[in-house]
Amino acid sequence: MVSAIVMLTTALATGWIVWLSRDPEARVASARAVGAAAWVVIALWLWLVVYYAPIEQVQGIVQKIFYVHIPAIIPMYLGFVLTAVGGIGYLRTRDDRWDQLAIAGAEVGVIFCSLMLVVGPIWAKPVWGHWWVWDLRLTSTLVLWFIYVAYLFLRGLAFGSDAAKTFTSVYGIVGTAAIPFVYFAVDLAQGSTMHPSNPAREGLPPAMGQTVGAGMVAFVLVFAWLVARRMEVAALEAREASALRGAA
Amino acid sequence: MDEPYNPYLIAAYVITAVVLVTYALRLRAARAALQRRAQGRS
Repeated sequence: MVSAIVMLTTALATGWIVWLSRDPEARVASARAVGAAAWVVIALWLWLVVYYAPIEQVQGIVQKIFYVHIPAIIPMYLGFVLTAVGGIGYLRTRDDRWDQLAIAGAEVGVIFCSLMLVVGPIWAKPVWGHWWVWDLRLTSTLVLWFIYVAYLFLRGLAFGSDAAKTFTSVYGIVGTAAIPFVYFAVDLAQGSTMHPSNPAREGLPPAMGQTVGAGMVAFVLVFAWLVARRMEVAALEAREASALRGAA
Repeated sequence: MDEPYNPYLIAAYVITAVVLVTYALRLRAARAALQRRAQGRS
């Protein structure tokens, strides 16, 4: 039930973002409803974290860091997938709105990937005794972060030329090849990783699973709202660049 | 480790909130600046 709600929310949010990307300035008004829904689910999620989710017997209260670490997974992957979707759209149509979707997905995806990489070690220090270990899951996630930070640097240096948009579109599509590797890193390591396996297979107790699920829904809504706002900014930037070229 | 005000726990949630709110405010400021300049040109 919880998994179904998370998947439905993710699918609806993805569809809404792609619909919004066709005309961000006119359609961004609908982001208010998404923002309001995000606040409601965030309040529910925090209530579940504080009052509903039990304190894990082995790790103690620090295990509740999971409820902010695990939910960042979906927005991270979704952001990078949207970058590829935008890249494919741009290469096919040369429509700048696809490119704006790509940059928004990458930027917000990097925000959530950064949170994963910061919050994870905060949990690891009291539980493992180390902030960081160079195991396959952690290292591959760090590589994924570098791939998309490099994407953002390339975008920043290229000043929006058509050639740069074409190159970064291809780069954004190729970059998604790293996602399955990161997702299945724990399985690929065959027991030699310290990182827990993917939560869907861990069989969490119901109260913990429901709290993780609420966090996932909350983060997907926050992600969708941020991507919508970033696309609006990208559209305004493109309009300004066009106006400045016209005046020159 | 089990005290309710565990510093690791608080740090994880506070950092997440600060990062997301800061990014949202940065987007709002960028949008306002772009809209202001667009009005100035028209």
